[in-house]
Amino acid sequence: MDDLTKDRVEQLIDCIMKKCLWQFHSRTWDRERQNENILRMTTQILCDEAFDAKTLEDKCYWVDAVCLADDYKKKFTWLLGIEKSEIKLIMQEVKNRLDYLTITGSLNEELNDPLY
Amino acid sequence: MYCEVNEKERTGVINPIFTCQPCGAQYASIGIKECIGIVHGGQGCVMFVRLLFSQHFKESFEIASSSVHEDGAIFGALDRVEQAVDVLLMRYPNVKVIPIISTCSTEVIGDDIDGVVIKLNETLLPEKYPGREVHLIPIHTPSFVGSMVSGYDLAVKDFVSYFAKKGESNNKINLITGWVNPGDVTALKHLLSEMDVDANVLFEIEAFDSPLMPSGNHVSHGDTTVEDLIDTANAIGTIALNRYEGGKTAEYLQKEFDIPMIIGPTPIGIRNTDTFLKNLSEMTGKPIPESLVRERGIALDAITDVTHMFLADKKVAIYGNPDLVIGLAQFCLDMEMKPVLLLLGDDNPNYKDDPRIQEFEKNLDYKMEIITNADLWELENRIKNDGLEVDLILGHSKGRFTAMDNNIPMVRVGFPVYDRAGMYRYPVVGYAGAMWLAETIANTWFVDMEYKKNRETILNVW
Amino acid sequence: MPYHLFKCSESIPEREKHSVIKGPGEDITSALPLGYLNTIPGSLSERGCAYCGAKHVIGTPMKDVIHMSHGPIGCTYDTWQTKRYISDNDNFQLKYTFATDMKEQNIVFGAEKMLKKNILEAFKAFPTMKRMTIYQTCASALIGDDIGAIADEIMEEMPDVDIFVCNSPGFGGPSQSGGHHKINIAWMNQKVGTVEPEITSDYVINYVGEYNIQGDQEVMQDFFKRMGIQILSTFTGNGSYDDLRGMHRAQLNVLECARSAEYICNELRVRYGIPRLDIDGFGFEPLSSSLRKVAMFFGIEDRAEAIITEETARWKPELDWYKARLTHKKVCLWPGGSKLWHWANVLHEEMGIDIVSVYTKFGHQQDMEKGISRCEEGALAIDDPNELENMEAMETLEPDIILTGKRPGEVAKKVRVPYLNAHAYHNGPWKGYEGWVRFARDIYNGIYSPIHKLSLLDISKDEIPTDVGFETQRMLSDVNLSDEVKNSTILREYTGEYDCIKGLRDKIYPEYLTKKVSEAV
Repeated sequence: MDDLTKDRVEQLIDCIMKKCLWQFHSRTWDRERQNENILRMTTQILCDEAFDAKTLEDKCYWVDAVCLADDYKKKFTWLLGIEKSEIKLIMQEVKNRLDYLTITGSLNEELNDPLY
Repeated sequence: MYCEVNEKERTGVINPIFTCQPCGAQYASIGIKECIGIVHGGQGCVMFVRLLFSQHFKESFEIASSSVHEDGAIFGALDRVEQAVDVLLMRYPNVKVIPIISTCSTEVIGDDIDGVVIKLNETLLPEKYPGREVHLIPIHTPSFVGSMVSGYDLAVKDFVSYFAKKGESNNKINLITGWVNPGDVTALKHLLSEMDVDANVLFEIEAFDSPLMPSGNHVSHGDTTVEDLIDTANAIGTIALNRYEGGKTAEYLQKEFDIPMIIGPTPIGIRNTDTFLKNLSEMTGKPIPESLVRERGIALDAITDVTHMFLADKKVAIYGNPDLVIGLAQFCLDMEMKPVLLLLGDDNPNYKDDPRIQEFEKNLDYKMEIITNADLWELENRIKNDGLEVDLILGHSKGRFTAMDNNIPMVRVGFPVYDRAGMYRYPVVGYAGAMWLAETIANTWFVDMEYKKNRETILNVW
Repeated sequence: MPYHLFKCSESIPEREKHSVIKGPGEDITSALPLGYLNTIPGSLSERGCAYCGAKHVIGTPMKDVIHMSHGPIGCTYDTWQTKRYISDNDNFQLKYTFATDMKEQNIVFGAEKMLKKNILEAFKAFPTMKRMTIYQTCASALIGDDIGAIADEIMEEMPDVDIFVCNSPGFGGPSQSGGHHKINIAWMNQKVGTVEPEITSDYVINYVGEYNIQGDQEVMQDFFKRMGIQILSTFTGNGSYDDLRGMHRAQLNVLECARSAEYICNELRVRYGIPRLDIDGFGFEPLSSSLRKVAMFFGIEDRAEAIITEETARWKPELDWYKARLTHKKVCLWPGGSKLWHWANVLHEEMGIDIVSVYTKFGHQQDMEKGISRCEEGALAIDDPNELENMEAMETLEPDIILTGKRPGEVAKKVRVPYLNAHAYHNGPWKGYEGWVRFARDIYNGIYSPIHKLSLLDISKDEIPTDVGFETQRMLSDVNLSDEVKNSTILREYTGEYDCIKGLRDKIYPEYLTKKVSEAV
């Protein structure tokens, strides 16, 4: 990752960590699910890709994604000036970094408790 | 017979008047200087009692927990006591006195706190803390016996019996205050000073009303020292003001060290204060000075202003600590009021043998009911559903909704009072207490008259 | 991120792993305080027990219930009238508490018979009350009373009553959090799905982890009602027992305090497929975003936007008045479990306050992950704090105000740090737009109290200012403000009522037809 991308990823990550709660659900499998779905939808929204949130579960990811995407667009105007493919690339890095912060690199010892 | 003593008929408790024994032991322990107790049980037994004290005094007090968790409850938790003592000693270098206060859980699992104290005295203390003065005192206060009142009584006795040691006579009297407020201690010390009596006041909690100082001192604690406790064996006499909160200790000192004792009366009201002074005078040979005659006169003057005009025939319900309740009832009678219901919140079998209660039974000329093992539902149910008419409630804050919901004026007395400011500062004992009580009762009644537009105009020319 | 060992805790070095300082450029993967571990005995921790976590925190805010504890009297007494969870049914749950009052003979011979008698007496004393919760305590757990069996017996004999049993003795877990967990799971297993609720809207939520402290729930309920959303149940503040039995019929669980109530949301997701949406009811932006999300979920975002616009216009000038005067004030944010992360960032963003420390007395590592992430650099994070550590932290950090519990607040007072009650609030509610302004006002009044200033003066040493007859908060707060802010005609102090809840109780809401009804028309 070049420095610019790294910096941009950090900005996007900081926003999630300071403003959102969805990335900190209880267990590893919850966090994988949340990160995967919400960031996928956020990317789709940022790239103006149409999709249909039909199930209650999808709708729930979707509302978090919409709010995050709105926040991103408001705060990080550079997002509006880059190619869709680049957005996807950056968002993939965001996902990697978020997974690291909240799952793979997390020091939370309760993440793998099999019960809630 | 006009006075009936009955035990509550229901098995359970709806809105309790007292909490359990460990709270009483904790209350006694914070009256000792350089003392931090360890409550052996779950953390709530400490956290909530500390909260309760801080609600009442608007101060924080230091009490530790052995923090018994699941494993301890199953396998025994004495290791938690050992660790707690060590941690406390390491981090609080000035602590000398550590009562180990048991609770329901650790009594049920049968943790031998006496044994662990012996073990610590033989191992941890000499090995890790040689030369340091440390007193570990086991206090058994299972929550399923008695109440906070008996817990206090028991702890006071355990502290005194641990320390009391015969030496030279100190020419003092032991004054065991019972469960009182800082304002009461101030009033009592004032009477002692006017009488020129040197007293060992136990457990001395005047400093619980502690200041906000530029130096930022942060710990409120009592002022009874280890030396004071040792010295209890050398007094010329013991006065325990409250039969149920210190009486045991007076008896112990008499039995063990031949120290003459007087139990009671709780010096609430003019008459009881007179008796207290007479007892002081007889025990010490000191006369009652003119200054107290005058002080008594000022109180009488003030009380006269409100009694037969306003307070006479008002029906009162009183609940709380037994000595307080009985003392208040006696004083109310002297002020021409009619205590119609007294609620004593535990099942102490000795209440019916209390001479003061027997005097109610013998001499009262109207109907008074005394309920033992009572809860606050005994009061509320009578008012709401059984047509009991009450003009005034005297009691602690836990009964505030009974008063509010039934539109009955209430004067906060006893422990805990958290819904009025600074009440711990005002005495109910001594002449000062009598005056404060009479005037506060009257003023509360006046506000009620105005609020309810109930003959409020008569105050125009009073 | 370096771990931090307090000087006062050098003799208990295991404490080092419970505290970190958020260093520049560091994140929660380099250091995270340990959490939810057994307490060190004798450390003067602030933690409570698992009984209180179940009964006092979560159980009792349920409003139409006889709350009975099976044990000696103390547990009941101690957890009675020590919180501010109000309700719209004249606070029954605050006013009445029930104890079986276990005595020595019960310990020896068992207390099941006496429990049964107790239950019958309680229902008799309150004949209109048909619902009951029974909480186990240390004593009844250790003697092995089968409370569930007694409850079943009663329910068989009295078909019109329903009883919930919570087995969460005080010793069950490192802190009150153990009790939160147990009661969540117990309610899920025993009661959810036993009542079929009446659905009156197309938009149906459970509002979870909200305890109506000084009316928080009613403030949030107002927003949901204005949007035409049906709150099927609130878990548990101002919540109704039977409503909570019907939780399984909601389309969405809106979760506020994840610390105390994420368990039931997780279970509802697994068992009934109801998704979990974590929200923040505190602060303008987080609240707006939360309302927006809930509305969007149902496709009614215009209704949310209307509320957001109206409330922001009404209250933002007042929030900003305080923000101008609170900027860079230092706060120790020392609550129980969830408020450290609910408040950490938004206090900074919306009131300009610098959070110099966060702590949690019963939180888990998850709460620290959230809390530390939301703090700025340099903040000191402490798990399961104890008295000496707090003192040391206050001495080194020199906060302008501390948000903590009642008793620790008394400690702070003595070192002349003003405190606000983080659990029960000073003049709440603090949720909602107006509530957030009330919070700002409470902080402002705490910090700029002339009496507080006088407490800093040592009349034996310091110069006594004799030329001042009085000071006001504003004289103190506006000293260094620009004229533009001082004389602003837009910004203003709080203008709400002393009680902002009363008016909500008999408010009339717009009627939105359900799809079913409107199609029929």
